[in-house]
Amino acid sequence: MNNKGHLLLDIKNLVKDFGGLRAVNNVSLNLREGEIRGLIGPNGSGKTTMINLITGIYPIGHGAIYFSGYRIDGLQPNVIAGKGIMRTFQISRVFKDMTVLENMMVPALSQNQNMMEAKLRAEELLEFALLARLKEEPAKNLSGGQNMLLQIVRGFMNKNLRLYLLDEPFAGVHQVIKGVILKTIKKMNEEKAVTFLIVSHELTTIQYLCHQISVLHRGEMISHGTMEEVANDPQVIDAYLGG
Amino acid sequence: MPKLRLNYFGPLFFLLIAMILPFFLADYWIYSLTITLYYVVMAVTWNLLGGYTGQFSLSHHTFAVIGSYTSALLIIKTGVPLWMGMVSSWMFNAIISVLLGILCLRMRGIYLALTTWAFAEIVKTYIRMDFEFTGGDRGLKTLLFFKTMNPLPYYYLFLAFAVLTIIVIAIIMRSRIGYYLRAIRNDEVAAQAMGVDIVRWKVFAFMVASVFASMAGTLYGHFTGLISPVSGEFYEMALIIIFVVIGGMRSQTGPVVGAVSVRFLAEVLKKWPEVRMVILASIVILIMRFFNGGLIEFLRKVFQRIRQRKSSEPVSAYSKIE
Repeated sequence: MNNKGHLLLDIKNLVKDFGGLRAVNNVSLNLREGEIRGLIGPNGSGKTTMINLITGIYPIGHGAIYFSGYRIDGLQPNVIAGKGIMRTFQISRVFKDMTVLENMMVPALSQNQNMMEAKLRAEELLEFALLARLKEEPAKNLSGGQNMLLQIVRGFMNKNLRLYLLDEPFAGVHQVIKGVILKTIKKMNEEKAVTFLIVSHELTTIQYLCHQISVLHRGEMISHGTMEEVANDPQVIDAYLGG
Repeated sequence: MPKLRLNYFGPLFFLLIAMILPFFLADYWIYSLTITLYYVVMAVTWNLLGGYTGQFSLSHHTFAVIGSYTSALLIIKTGVPLWMGMVSSWMFNAIISVLLGILCLRMRGIYLALTTWAFAEIVKTYIRMDFEFTGGDRGLKTLLFFKTMNPLPYYYLFLAFAVLTIIVIAIIMRSRIGYYLRAIRNDEVAAQAMGVDIVRWKVFAFMVASVFASMAGTLYGHFTGLISPVSGEFYEMALIIIFVVIGGMRSQTGPVVGAVSVRFLAEVLKKWPEVRMVILASIVILIMRFFNGGLIEFLRKVFQRIRQRKSSEPVSAYSKIE
């Protein structure tokens, strides 16, 4: 079903240098609407840089990024978010001095959504994510796992959300919370057709969630396919085991 | 509804006291309270910048100086009526603040503080140097707003303006803009990734705070009848920050409480001007060490203790999810 979706994200020959270091080298990547894609690779392979380039946090060096047919590289991160691309951060970046509910309101209000409607929707999402009882709690009082969960559900407040980029959403997360995150991703993918690009080192979870997997190594895309195909790719074996 | 009434009871009570207070005070104290209300406006609006938005500007007092000089100079040099001089100076300040805001967009913390401080020094030095135009250190005589030196009408004018400022800032912070500004202070990158136009709202906060400072400055100039570059000294900026820190940053009542209590203390210590600043600075250190939420946080904790006797059920945030 998912492979039949329209082309949503089309990355062409992306290059990014940090001084003399080439962090992303001629990477091309396609994502179809409704797909859940895993992006794996050893540490320092350029996974987070890819997310930062797609969301406009870093300007690209060369290449192009198309979202739903429109070129988005060069746009400000808030404009890209407005087009329906949300992201989470590897180290959770919630608004610590704001309450859980206020955190949820930020993406909604930035889209000029009605305040009361947004509040109701936020409460619904928090209920689903088992965070409803903490809604008046400042985010700084939450545990690391709860912060990650809040980061993820906060992104769903974007009404235009079509592509969600999750950066290590399961890292250091309690099993109960991990279960909630998995359930949330599945629900949003099935009910709202949200497309996901998930960066993670947890290969079993990636295998469970993702239809397709792409592998980055030293800034280059070295493999792409199902988990089985990728796991048997000599280049991937070499990258993970050979160093 | 009863909750709503209770929320407004406190501010209305203090407003009522502020309105009847001059009937029991000598002119000197009314004058001093009027100056205090000027500082209330400066502290409340700096709190929008330094407190809520995290833009640690050190040029807030300079916008008051620019406001007072622009209005006075326009009236003296071109002969425009007082109201036109004042309104023109506010518009001029809006333009200057937007330009400075754009210049400082990518700056945070010490870089923003130093840039705004440098701007403040440039303005102060210019006023001192171009004495033929600005009057230099001799100062500049200004037109009085009420054509009288009696401080009473000015007191009510400043009281009305302070109330208006507090209401406007409260409305902004309760609106969607308040969410944006707090998100920006917490984490600019995350705020932008959540769709907040940080450029627009940082410049907006800078402009609103600066225009209110210039309004306070013009009123101050047309109240005292004489303006000088002394108002542009860094000491003035330090005072505004002290008011906010002692009262309570990122709180709507904190800067008001801070300005009133510190100004009162300063009046009490007037006989010992050399130790006044030392004592104020010591209070800042003590508050930063023990109550970095300021007097408001201290009072809140006292009331919380009292309430906790009735119902106390501390719950771990983590335990709730399981």
